[in-house]
Parts: sequence; C-alpha cells; structure tokens
Amino acid sequence: MSDHEHHDHSHSPETHDASSQALSEALQSSFFIVKLAMGALLIVILVSGIFTVGPQEKAIVLRFGKPVGSGTNLLLGAGLHWAWPQPVDEVVKIPVTPTGNLQVRSTVGWYFVTPEQEVAGTEPPGGATLNPAMDGSVITADRNIIHSRATVTYHIDDPRAAIFNFGAGTNHSFNLEGVSNALLNAANNAIVSTAARFNVDDILTDSGGEYQASIKRRITDMADAEHLGVAIDLVEVRSVAPRQLADVFALVNSARQNRERLVTDALAEQQRILNTASAQANSVTNEAETARNNFVQSVKSEADAFNKLLPQFQSNPRLYEEMELAKVMSVVLTNVQDKIYLPQRADGQPRELRLQLNREPQQPNQR
Amino acid sequence: MKKNAVTLAVAALLLVIFALLLFTYQVRQSEVVVVATFGKPTDTRTEPGLYFKWPWPVQSLYRFDQRVQTFEDKFSECYLADHSTLLASVYIGWHISDAKAFYPKFQGGFIDAAQRQLEGMLRTAKLQVVGGHNLADFVNSDATQLKFSEIEKQIQASVQSQLDANNYGITIEFLGFKKIGLPEKVTDAVFERMKAERNKYITEAQSEGDKQAAMIKSSAERQAADLLNNAEATAKRIEGEGNAEAAKTLAVFQQNPDLAIFLLQLEAMKSSLNQKATLFFDERTPPFDLFSKLPAANSSYTK
Repeated sequence: MSDHEHHDHSHSPETHDASSQALSEALQSSFFIVKLAMGALLIVILVSGIFTVGPQEKAIVLRFGKPVGSGTNLLLGAGLHWAWPQPVDEVVKIPVTPTGNLQVRSTVGWYFVTPEQEVAGTEPPGGATLNPAMDGSVITADRNIIHSRATVTYHIDDPRAAIFNFGAGTNHSFNLEGVSNALLNAANNAIVSTAARFNVDDILTDSGGEYQASIKRRITDMADAEHLGVAIDLVEVRSVAPRQLADVFALVNSARQNRERLVTDALAEQQRILNTASAQANSVTNEAETARNNFVQSVKSEADAFNKLLPQFQSNPRLYEEMELAKVMSVVLTNVQDKIYLPQRADGQPRELRLQLNREPQQPNQR
Repeated sequence: MKKNAVTLAVAALLLVIFALLLFTYQVRQSEVVVVATFGKPTDTRTEPGLYFKWPWPVQSLYRFDQRVQTFEDKFSECYLADHSTLLASVYIGWHISDAKAFYPKFQGGFIDAAQRQLEGMLRTAKLQVVGGHNLADFVNSDATQLKFSEIEKQIQASVQSQLDANNYGITIEFLGFKKIGLPEKVTDAVFERMKAERNKYITEAQSEGDKQAAMIKSSAERQAADLLNNAEATAKRIEGEGNAEAAKTLAVFQQNPDLAIFLLQLEAMKSSLNQKATLFFDERTPPFDLFSKLPAANSSYTK
C-alpha cells in the first residue's frame, strides 16, 4: 500500500495530465473506429440487400416468411432489386421459361420411345403383345387398346398458389416442380378417363375434335378443383392405333376412303343424270310451247286465208278447185322423186301393178 | 456523457437484436410450425409471420411443409367383380392438416415416412373398391353407366377414413387414376378381336359403298324419269291448250266445209308427196288427163 502510494506520489502533475490525454485520445480514436465500423456495417447491410433476377427466373420476397405483393405482382422480373437482409427478408428465385409458357406431356398412354427415336420421328417395332410395364396405352369405351397422349401448354396465373401450395417432396424449397407434377397427374387422368368413354374410331378420327376438347375440359376442371393456380392455354392430343395392328387399321381407312369415293362418284353421276333430265324436260316443254304457238298461229293464218279464199270459191267452186288442184299437182310433180306414168289399157280397164314389198333390204348376190 | 449515450444505444441495439433472435421465430409461407414446451406440443402456427417463443430449452420448434405432396402407387393387378383383371395405378395429393397430430407419428424424414404409410393404405383401399366394380364401370360409351369418378371418390373416402381413424393429421386433397391397363396375356386376345373387327369394317365399307352408290344412281334415274314424265304431261297440257285455242277458229271453216276440206286435202297431198315419193299415175290424173286427148297412135307403147 505504501509502495503504491509511493508510486502515485512519485509522478508529477504534468505526467498525470499527459496520461489522461493519451487515454482520452485512445478512446476517441476507438470510438471513431467503432463509428467507422458501424457505418461500414450499415453500408454492408444496405448493399447486401441488392440482388439480381436473371431472364430465366422470377423472384419472390418473403418478409418475415410472408410473400410481399399479391397476384402477379408477387413475382419480380429480370433486373436489379433490393430487399432487407435476412432474417427480415428472404429472396426466393423460381426458374421460368422466357415466354412464361410451360408444358407437360402425359406419360401413361404412349408406347416406350427413346428420346433419340422421339427426335428422329421413328418408333420401335411392336411385339405380338403389349407389355404394360413398358408400353403405355389407354382402354377405349368399346374395350379396344390404343395409344393416346396429351401435350398441355399452360401458364401460372396465381403464383402464390402454384409455388406455395404444392411441393415435390423437397422440404422447404420453392419451385414449380410440385404444381407441374400435379398437372401431369391431371393430364394422365384426363387421357385415361376420357378414352374410357369414347369408342376407338371416335378417338382415332376425332373429326369434330370432341375427344380433344373433352380432355382439355377435364384437365381445366381438375386444375380449378385442385387450385393449382395455372391456366390451361392449349391441349394437343395425338392418338394412334397399336403398332401391332397398324396395317389392318390402314386397310380400314383405305376401304372407307374407297367407300367415300364411290359415294362421291355416285353423287356426281346423280347430278349429271338430273342435269340431263332437267335439260330434256325443259326441251320437251319448250318444244310443246313452240308447237302450240306455231299450231295456233298456223290455224289463225289458215282461217285468215280461208276468209280471203272463200269469196273466190263461192263465185265458181269447180273452177277454183281445178285451178288449185292443178297448182298443187305442179308442185307435187316437181318434188316427187319418181314419176311413173301408166297409160290406160286398151280395153279401158285399169292396169294392174304387183309390188314386191320387203322391210329388209335385199342382199346383194354373192355369186 | 455523449459518448456514454452512444455506447448505451449500441449496446441496447445489440441487446434487442439478440433478444429478437432468441425470443422470436418466423413461419414461412407453406410451412406449419409446431411449438413444443418442454417437449410437449403446445401450439401450432400455420400462417406466415413473426412469432414470439421462449428460448430453448423451454420451447422448441418443429417445422413441417404443409404444401400438397403428390405420389402414386404401383401399377398393379386388381381383380374385378366380373372376374376380369385390370391393371391400375392411382395418384394422390395430400398435405399435413393437423401438424400436432402428424408430428409425433412421423418424426424425421416425415414426407417419405408418411407416403410409405399412405401407400399401404392406398393399396388396400384400391383393391377393395376396384374389386367391387365391373369393367363396364371403368370403360363405357354410355356416360350414365360409367363410374370412373365415383370409384375415385370411393377410394379417396376409404383412405381418408383410415387416416382419420388413426389420427395421422393428413388430408387427401385429390385422388385419381393415373393409369389403367390390361394384363399382357390379355392384350394378345384383344388384338385378335380388334383385327377381326377391322376386317369386318373393311367388308362393310366395301359393300356399303357399292350399296350407297347404287341407291344414289337409281334414285337419280327415278327422279330423272319423274322429271321427264312431268315434262311430257306438261307438253300434253300445252298441246291441249293449243288445240282448244285453235278450235275457236272452227267457226271460220264452218262457213264452207267443202272449201275447208278441199284446202286440207290439197295441203295433205303436198305434204305427203314429198321428194322421196314415187307417183304412179295414168291419164285420168290431172293434169295428165291431157294425155287422153292425144291421138290414139301414141298409145302404141302401152303394154
């Protein structure tokens, strides 16, 4: 104690002031460093909140776990954005396609094709039977087996539902895999359940598009009922006969085409017959009209002529008759091809003529 | 004094941050958190946000994914009520609806464990429900006979009742057939039947085409004959109308029937003795009756 007191008293007042000043300066510089560090920390905090969103992705900000925004505003597009650093905000990035359109293709109704065969447009040969473990198929209402598949194009119209309501077995990670799986199941179910109420020919021809429309309706209904948060844009369905029966199905098509051709030809022939008959009928009625007009006109002309000739006739009927007969005979004898004069027999009796009449022309003499 | 205030503020801020980390927790969208007090579940948080808790070891948190998870069972054979066999695979969409009930049953890897449990229940329910139906309930062109959706609902109800009975805290959101098919040994017979059907259609198409074409042609010929017959009838009517109109001039000719008949005879003679006619005549036929006035010597060439 005494040493200590001795020690304290051994320092001069100038020395004590110098020490205090040094301590004060050290504290000041320490506070300055702390303030500098706090400022730097603040800057680091602010800068760390900046994040970028690429062209192939969307981002969602979770503030204390809750998505910021609603509807499609929930999704942040490509560019530079800022959020509070964790644990206040959490940025979740979702991979998307450039157009925003997504696709799933049903997996259950088609035979096994490798990706290489799919690209090349070729198909593996079918065996005598269909192996259900390998090759997919659907059963039609008339209990036939065919292949059918649907390609569904869709977009997300409710991101909150699509991203946060469906998982894909991966705990707490966010993506569109869960909703994609759910939609794939809906597409598979739609193919199977719709084929089950259509006959094979209705599916394969699907001339009215009813089969495809029914599948789209089923997928849309299921997406709505399951609140997938997606909108179905397009459903393309392709259906084919089993490869094992491709030849015989082609022959049926050919026979049906031939039937259509026969009917089309017959309809053309029908049109030709009716056109000809119509023309003939018109001709008959027109000719009748013309004949009537001519006849009526002719009779009127004759009546007029009769009225004019009657006074002459009445003045001397015999003379008139002979004159008119002579005039007509002159015309007749001019026109007649053969004129044969048969003078009266000496005994005053008429000359007898014998004519050999035969409908068939006489055969020339071969000899 | 000012420096002390800054120090205190910094210290207070650090304390607040530390306290927040220690006494609060977040629930993310899609999560459900079970709060256990001294190991016993006491609270469940399903809505996202910031919540208070006592620090460990008083309270512990157990987080679960409450999103809908989908999985499917195996494509397996089911025996139907009509003794036929059908292959079927069913998919299911489920989620944790009661985390407090779910948590003690599936601790650790809970999704896989829950799905293993569900798969067993699903297989049992599928075999029972499908086995109570005929093939016509699955495939039928008569929509009123088809029970596809009804069967799916029956399986879902069966699985849900098993889950509820065991209080698993799981709800089935949707269930449907992913795939149905026929066993491989049956497909051979189906293909043979389909082939026979196709051959029948080929024959039908051929005969039907001939039949339709013949019907169309005969119908056309009948219609054509009708057209011509109608035209002939119309022509007759027109002719009759012409005759009736001509008859109105009969009174003119009745003034002197002899002249009328004479004129008609002249006209008939002109018409009948045309260029291809052959006329035999003797000296009594005018104007050749002039021959009879010739001298008798000229008659020497008569036979």
